Amino acid sequence: MKEEDYILFEAYLAEELSVEEKTAFENRLETDAAFNASFNTYKELSGYLEHTIKNEAETNAFKSNLKSISNQHFNKTKGASEGNKKSTTFSLLKYAIAACVVLLFGIVTFNKMNQPAYSDYNEHGIMDLTVRGGNIGLLIKTTKAFNNKEYEKASGYLETLLEEDPENKEYQLYYAVTNIELDKFEISEPILQDMAKGDSAYKNRAIWYLGLSNFKQDKEEEAIKWLKQVPEGADYYRQAQELLNKLE
Amino acid sequence: MSEKKIHEDQKYIEGLLQNNSFIIQAIYDTFVPKVVNYIKQNSGDADQAQDVIQETLITIYNQASQKKLQLTCPFDAYFFLLCKRKWLNELKKKTNKEVTINEEVLSKDDDSQELAFETSLFGEKQELFNTMFQKLGNACKDLLKATFKIKSMEEVAKSLGVTYAYARKKKSLCIGKLTKMVQESPQFNQLNY
Repeated sequence: MKEEDYILFEAYLAEELSVEEKTAFENRLETDAAFNASFNTYKELSGYLEHTIKNEAETNAFKSNLKSISNQHFNKTKGASEGNKKSTTFSLLKYAIAACVVLLFGIVTFNKMNQPAYSDYNEHGIMDLTVRGGNIGLLIKTTKAFNNKEYEKASGYLETLLEEDPENKEYQLYYAVTNIELDKFEISEPILQDMAKGDSAYKNRAIWYLGLSNFKQDKEEEAIKWLKQVPEGADYYRQAQELLNKLE
Repeated sequence: MSEKKIHEDQKYIEGLLQNNSFIIQAIYDTFVPKVVNYIKQNSGDADQAQDVIQETLITIYNQASQKKLQLTCPFDAYFFLLCKRKWLNELKKKTNKEVTINEEVLSKDDDSQELAFETSLFGEKQELFNTMFQKLGNACKDLLKATFKIKSMEEVAKSLGVTYAYARKKKSLCIGKLTKMVQESPQFNQLNY
């Protein structure tokens, strides 16, 4: 096909041809098999591109949900066949977890009688970035440093990760958290405020951390303002409510 | 196709389309074990089965959202046939020889055969279109992405710093180029339209 033919295809699909041009076009579709075949492929590609590009976000959401259900399913079936071998270590682990829970419960009840402190709430959960693709070596180092509470180190690694992938919300969140830990609120807060306004999966966590960050700086009013915005059912909702009760 | 009655299992298609975790979970619980067994009995392992199943569900999702897929047969037969076809193709690619199909597990249901065939064709075409799109030059890729995301050609032109007429012409030429690449690829002719 010549360039003019493709321009004609586009004009026909956009319904921009005059009545005469349209009739001529349709006649050619009937008589010229190569023209017809190219037009059909062009039309199909145009539809494919339109759909794929427009629905990229939805498709990605579906893919990641599917992947997590699939991983869960396959680990479960694999686990079932390996289950017996692991049962002793597993039950030991269960006792260890139970002991931790009891200990934690004790600490929490004890703390309830005291003034709240930042250190009661800076439990960030276990980071695991290694499930992502990319620079695996660096991701492992970051994960280790963060989980070991080596925030200075973790922050440096996250900076490098963000240079490569500046839009990555997970990196942004953890980078903000390390900076709260390091008292660099001028770095953490703008990031968290942006996230709190957006609609990523980390929105509610960003709101919680804004509350916590203000609390750490003794800005109680600001802290309360943010903590009240953590919606019911979100991660950290319970902690947010607890801290609110103590502050108000 | 349109006179045929839509099967009650259409709910699985709708569930995938809505990214409904409950339905996706139900598909894994109900229909996946049979596929895993089949793949394991035919020179595959659990990891390979996991990939085949995931890719098949993505193809169904894409077809449902682009072509309004309507199920006229049980999901079970349709899904199984699709996974099986995909797995046999993988085997063919790996071993480079013909694989014999174990016919006894094959459903005799004509509707499911036909529908599964349509969906695999759709999936293969998508794959081809995607591969070719990735091979386009960056200028074309960026322009097409902007065109279909922004919709208004005036805005596209502005965002790329070119005139409306140029953006318009460039769009048709880029899709034209893609058309030519697709038509010239050996896979395209195998997908006998």
